[in-house]
This record gives sequence, C-alpha cells and structure tokens, in this order.
Amino acid sequence: MKPWSQVALLAKREFSERVRNKTFIITMSLLVVAILAIGPAVNFFSGGEDEATMIGLAGEELPGIEQELHTQAALFDLEIEVARFPSRDEVETALTEGDVAVVLVEGTQIVFHENVSSRLTALVHSAIDTTVKTGALTGLGLSEGEIASVVEPIPIEVTTLEEQNIQDDAKRGAAFVGAIFLYISIIMFGQFVAMGTVEEKQNRVVEVILSRVRPWQVLVGKVAGIGLLGLLQLAIFAGAAYISAQLADLPDIDVAAIGLPIITSLLFWFILGYTFYAFLYAAVGSTVSRQEDLQGALMIPIALILPGYLLAIMAAEDPDALLPTVASWLPPWAPFVMPVRIAAGSAQSWEIAVAIVGTVLGAIALVWIGARVYSGALLRTGGKVKLREAWKAAAE
Amino acid sequence: MYGLEALSMLELVDLSKRFGDVVALDGAGFTVESGRILGFLGPNGAGKTTAMRVVFGLIRPDAGTVRWNGEPVGPAERLRFGYMPEERGLYPKMKVHDQLVHFSRLSGLSKAEANDAVDHWLGVLGLADRGDGKLDDLSHGNQQRVQLAAALAHNPDLLILDEPFAGLDPIGVESLAETLRELASGGVTIVFSSHQLDLVEDVCQDVAIIAEGRVVLSGRLDDIKNRSTKRRLTIDIDGQPWIPDVPGVEIVDGPGPSHCIVDDDAPIADLLAAANAAGTVNRFVFEPPRLTDLFREAVKS
Repeated sequence: MKPWSQVALLAKREFSERVRNKTFIITMSLLVVAILAIGPAVNFFSGGEDEATMIGLAGEELPGIEQELHTQAALFDLEIEVARFPSRDEVETALTEGDVAVVLVEGTQIVFHENVSSRLTALVHSAIDTTVKTGALTGLGLSEGEIASVVEPIPIEVTTLEEQNIQDDAKRGAAFVGAIFLYISIIMFGQFVAMGTVEEKQNRVVEVILSRVRPWQVLVGKVAGIGLLGLLQLAIFAGAAYISAQLADLPDIDVAAIGLPIITSLLFWFILGYTFYAFLYAAVGSTVSRQEDLQGALMIPIALILPGYLLAIMAAEDPDALLPTVASWLPPWAPFVMPVRIAAGSAQSWEIAVAIVGTVLGAIALVWIGARVYSGALLRTGGKVKLREAWKAAAE
Repeated sequence: MYGLEALSMLELVDLSKRFGDVVALDGAGFTVESGRILGFLGPNGAGKTTAMRVVFGLIRPDAGTVRWNGEPVGPAERLRFGYMPEERGLYPKMKVHDQLVHFSRLSGLSKAEANDAVDHWLGVLGLADRGDGKLDDLSHGNQQRVQLAAALAHNPDLLILDEPFAGLDPIGVESLAETLRELASGGVTIVFSSHQLDLVEDVCQDVAIIAEGRVVLSGRLDDIKNRSTKRRLTIDIDGQPWIPDVPGVEIVDGPGPSHCIVDDDAPIADLLAAANAAGTVNRFVFEPPRLTDLFREAVKS
C-alpha cells in the first residue's frame, strides 16, 4: 500500500461524503438557479429599450406633426409610435399606466407622468419647432427646397475626450465578482477543513485513522478532497455565471472573450489560495477539541483573508494604487488581488510570476508548519492545545 | 524460545516515555507469541494505553522498540495490525458499511476484498442488516460491535484491543470472548487490556501486568501460577471468619470462609492444628493463586 494511495482514499472519502450531503446539494442548486436567473432578470427589468417609445397627440394638432416626430426620432436614433387621444382623461390614464411616455397636448404642451425626459422633451420640442417654422415659411411662399435648407438640422458630432471602454469595465467588474467568489469559497472550504478536523477529534475517530496512516496523509487527503469539492463548486458557479451572462442581452460586451480568461484565472488562483489557507485552517482546527471552541481559533485565518478581500476592492477601483499593487505580490493576498489586477491589465508579467512563486512557496511552508501542528495536536483531546505546544509535541 | 514460534510474535522492548514530568512508560516490555491471547493488566494510569499507542506509532517512545516477527514495526507492518482504541469513535453520520470498507481499504484491502470482509464481519457480529444505516442510528451495543469490526475487518495478524469488554452486557462479553478465542485459534495474535480479572483468567493464555510504567509480571498464565510461591488457602470454620495467627499468612477477603494467601512453604500442619483448635473445620483447601491474587501481589511490590 503506497502512502499516496491511502491519501487518495482519504481524499475520496472527504469528497464523496460531502458531495452527497443533502444540505450541500440543495444550497448549491439554489445558488446555481439564482445565478442563472440574473441574466434573464436583467433583460426583463431593462426590457423597454428595444420597444418603440409611444408618443401621444391630443387636442388640436399641428399639421404634419406626426411626420415630423418620426423624422426627428430618426435623428435621435429612437424608434417611436404615435397614438392619438381624443380627451384629456384618456391622456392621463395612458400616462399613468405607462402606455405612452409623453403626450403633446394642443401642440404647445408637453406632458409627462412623473419624470421629465430631457431627451424626449428635446425631440418633441424640435418637432414642434420645425413644424411651426415650416408652416410659417410655406406661408411666405418659399419653395420646399428653400424651406428645407432653413429647417434641416445641421449635423453635429458628439464626442468624449476619453473613450469609454465598456469591455474594460466589464472585465474589471467580472474579475471583482470573481474575487468575491474566491473569497467566499476559500473561507467556506477552509472552514470545512477546520470543521472536519475538529469533528474527527471530537468523535475520537482520529485514533482509528491514525493507527493506519500518518498525520500528514490525513491532512493532505482532507485538504485535497475538500479542495476538489471547492474547485467543482466554483467551476459550476462560474459556468452558471457565464451562461447567465450569455443569456443577458449585452450587445456591447464580448462575454466569451472576457469570461473565459477570468474563469480560468479564478480557478487557478483558487487552487493556489485555497492550498495556502487550507493548511492553516487544518492547523488551527486541530488545536481545538470541540466545535464550540472553533470560532475563536478561526480568527487567525480570517484576520489574514479579510484584508485580502478589502485590497481586492481597492484594486478593482484603482489597480495601479500602491497598496493593492504591493499586496498583489505577497502570498496571503495575491490570490485575491492579483486576478483583479490581471483582468484590469495593470499587472506586469514579472509581477504575476512573483505572485505565483510567492504563493506556492508560502503554501509549501504552510503545509510543513500545518502538518507539524496538526500531528502534534491531533491526539490531544480535552481543552485547547496552544499552537506552540502542538509544535513541540510533534517532535516527541 | 527462539524456534519457529519466535518468528511470528510481537515484542515490546524496554519502552520508555515521559510526558513532561509524568513518566508513562519506564522500560516496559513483554512478548506475545502468534495465536495467543495476552491480557494486559494494570491499575489506571499504569501505562497500558500509552504502550498500545506506541505499537501503532501514535506515540513515539523516548526509548525502546516494538518488533513484529523480529523486525522493527513500521507503517507497512502496522497495516497488518488491528486496533480498537479505548476512546471509541467512528464517523457518526457515515453509513456503517461504507466506513468499514473505508478503513479496510486504508489498511490495504482492495475494494472487492474490503466489501467481502465487511459483509462477512457484519454477518458474524449480527449486524448484517445494519450496513446501510448510519452509525448514529445504532444502539450502544451495536456501535461497540461496529467498532470491533473496524479493528478486524481487514483480517489483521495482530489485534490490540483497549478495554474491549468495557460497557458490554454479559451476553456481549461472552460473544466477544468467543470471537477472540476463534480468532486466536485461527492464528491471530491478540492483546487486550481489561480490569475484569476473572474474564482475563477465562480468556487469556498469557498475561502482562504493568505498574507505574514497568511490566512487573508477564508470561504464560499457567507458568506464572505454578511459579508463584503463593498458594490460595480457603478455610471454613463454622462459616465464621477466622484469622490464623501464623506468619506468612495474609487474609485476602471475608467475611464468611476465610481466603488467605500463604507462602507455599507455610507450616501446613501448624495451620491445620490451629484451625482445629478454633472450631469444626468444614473446608481446608489449597489452590494455585488466582489472577486477582497475582495482580494484587505484583502491583503491590
């Protein structure tokens, strides 16, 4: 029996016992459904955009106003339909119920329901203006061509100084959402590791296990089995988010080009970040004997993870700021901050290399430290074992 | 002594272990030959559990070694051992069959072998229909049986059981004793600790008695009894307790007929004369010492 086959058996138990857990399956299914629903929900709530805007006419009409409204709407890049209302009452009903966006009454009054849209005001006003002027000019005996040369709008170009890059914003946003997922996943599966460790101590099953395998095998098997479950869950969530984004109608955003690299990077940094923290979680978990005592011990990993989350928020806002930049190189925070900086395009390749190598080295150190504390503390039941005692006990 | 049998045996040699100021083992050692059952006895805190944990590498001794078939014990040898710790514990929420298969496979059985072995032992222990249930749903007695199954489902050559009879009802005790005898006759070496000395006398061929970290007496139970310079004397004089005023005689229990421990060179004639003088002697019986007597004697010294 090779030591690594035993590790594989231990990992398999951790994975299969948890993946069959009803609470886990239900929670995960609900979350997947929720994520999948976000895309269509966005479409539903911003749904009006594609439909024609209804403009109402009431009372005495300016001759040719309907034609002019359509002409103006084309200039405003807006699709409209025109409806007519014989009475003031009907106008009010239609506005209140949202059947029309705006109504032109008696050719002089522009009525909205609650909020004035300056865009529609400009459109209707422009139509009135042109219609009235055309009428006046016709009365003066000008030809159609002459009239047109007066009332035809002058083409005006509208630009911004800085190009608004929707792709970059979407990328950074997606990376930030990814960082939140990463943060939640590392805490969640790290706690699984700690709780599983305490459970085995509390149930005393640990002695039955340790009569067959070494502590490091239990540790590595547990971390690997739970980690695979975490990776699976994260991949399912990311897949659901990807499908959800495809379902959402985002014509200006290339979901595949943005989503796939971010998902790959997310899974990669989860493996690094989880490995780093899981051994820490296992070490602190092994120092307590009862679940009730675990919360206090968990403050140690949380105290390291929480700043990582806050730094990721800072990086999403300004990826080149000094604090997130430095943090993105250092093992405890790189897994949270670096993916955001990479997505924002602000991380140099050497920085990424430093972050990866640093985190891997940090994880190796924690495997070693964690394994030693773990083996020193595992058979000590009763109270809480101090980290230093566990460290020394491992040498006994 | 070092014939064929010596090739298949467990040896604990000069084990020492300190926990801070507490001396748990102080040069303890004993030997069990294959297919024999050894009762490991000692007062609480004498070092029994520590010694058992050393065999499984759960505790690293400060000095001394454990040998199996003459070779130092390592992880590979331990896979052929089965252990039932004093602190009982398995996975409460895991199906009984699944966890037994898991532990057997950790000990090196293939999936098919593990399934067969677990089915076999669940059947033998009367738990054939409980395999699909969670451990939590079983009665205390049945959980004990599952714990035993976890120790022996991988068909170990050596079985070490820490207080296996604790908490069992008389029927459970008898069926466990029977299981152990059958295993031993099949060649399995068995070491178990117990406080129930009658039971040990009944089940074991060998004993090792540990006190304050040292093995004070060990060997074949028959040899020890024969070698002992003590004899158990039962005297019944009108059903009354009677204390003979003779040197080298120690009363071990009463009232009712007096049970004494006497040296085997005690002046029997003087004793009998004194007894006759005290009243009508209904019974005057010499026997080899019981394990209880040996235990008390050994632990006292």
